[in-house]
Amino acid sequence: MEKRENCRHQVYDALAAGIRNMVRHAAADDDRLEEIRMRTGQPLMIRYDGREQILPAVQQPHIVTKEEMRETMDYISHYSLYAYSEELKHGFVTIEGGHRVGVAGKVITEQEKVKNVQHISSVNIRVSHEVIGCADPLIPYIVQDGRICHTLLISPPGCGKTTMIRDLIRQISDGNEYIEGCSVGVVDERSELGGCYMGIPRNHLGKRTDILDCCPKAAGMLMLIRSMAPQVIAVDEIGSREDVQAVEYAMQCGCRLIASVHGMDMDEALRKPALGDLIRKRVFERYVVLGCDEHPGRIREIYDGRGRSLWNG
Amino acid sequence: MERVIGGILILTATCGAGYVYCKELNDYIAKLRYLRYTVSLIRGEINYAHAPLPEVLSEVSGRIRQPYRKWLRETARALSDRSESSFSRIWNKCVDRYLDRLDLKEVHSVLLKEAGTFLGSLEKDTLNHTLQLYLNRMDLEIEKQREGLASRIRIGRWLGVMSGLFLIVLLL
Repeated sequence: MEKRENCRHQVYDALAAGIRNMVRHAAADDDRLEEIRMRTGQPLMIRYDGREQILPAVQQPHIVTKEEMRETMDYISHYSLYAYSEELKHGFVTIEGGHRVGVAGKVITEQEKVKNVQHISSVNIRVSHEVIGCADPLIPYIVQDGRICHTLLISPPGCGKTTMIRDLIRQISDGNEYIEGCSVGVVDERSELGGCYMGIPRNHLGKRTDILDCCPKAAGMLMLIRSMAPQVIAVDEIGSREDVQAVEYAMQCGCRLIASVHGMDMDEALRKPALGDLIRKRVFERYVVLGCDEHPGRIREIYDGRGRSLWNG
Repeated sequence: MERVIGGILILTATCGAGYVYCKELNDYIAKLRYLRYTVSLIRGEINYAHAPLPEVLSEVSGRIRQPYRKWLRETARALSDRSESSFSRIWNKCVDRYLDRLDLKEVHSVLLKEAGTFLGSLEKDTLNHTLQLYLNRMDLEIEKQREGLASRIRIGRWLGVMSGLFLIVLLL
């Protein structure tokens, strides 16, 4: 619990001093704070309990200044923007605790490739929520004969895919009534699963988990197979052809695989260029479709490897 | 007999003062060299680990001696605590607080503070150039200090002896 408290503090600590308390007061229950949005010259906003709020609620809106934006970016980057240049190219930085900070500003390009983002004018802090036990209803469906099935989680952005995969990792690593604890290798390219700081995960990932932080997924999976002999490998948001090839290779090495991908449903996942081929080869044994129509992380459907529905919510 | 002992004591004291002065001159150059070495470690760690400054400074602090170690460790701590709104304020404050034992000359203290002014907000290449510029300027400063060193040491030693003799003649 204390660990989660610290994770929340990391969000507040990343804000400029002038707006820190404003957000802290507005978000009375930390668990319901979803987003903090700052735009230079525009009012400060948060998304709390599913609703957008302009801060402060009772007075004139607080207009975010350029200085506050610079201070916030200094705190987010630990006064070291150079260390986050690779992440900034992709438009976001992940801070301790796995909270994702999206940025927008002036994009510097070189030969039509993004080189850096300067003069950052918008920041969106998406608060990571570790929901212990959220994978409880899923576990019985992805365990067969005491072993984990190759599982693909399909979900649109913001529907709890990372939260679900994180709790799956924890339960598989620690073991439960369905499965004995086994070694799990995690490739955490964006530091969202573990929320690592100096290589140590801040989120609960279980006692048999080895994590490669900030490592590209394809290279990381191969590294884990060679070095840590994991029984299960978990990766978030696979997409590129290299990722898919590495997933297939890992499956052929005797590792069980848990992965996630962006998509609305099975059909959308099937239409993805490289992943679609893998699905058609029936290498995955379970597909879990998540939705956020009632609440993030709601399990909508579970399919087996042949596409037969095992559960429909 | 008493006069002889007194004379020896005076001569020993003034020669000792001369020796201390020479040693301080030598030590000052050693301090500048070690400061340069520390900054070169910081630069190397940034290039190698590509890690944020608190991690870099904390890592380097484990490889160096006091008071440089405390300086970097406390700077890393202040950065982790986000105790100031900008990097340069933390850097300058820590230079003043933890390196005051070195008795750096104004010019060398300013040089070190200048190196930290934009350190936090630069991209990697520019950061590298800034640190390299500091290292080059430190090389020049060390060279400048060393140029006059031999003659100043000689003067220091002779002044010690001569002032001792002068005092003996004056007092006895």
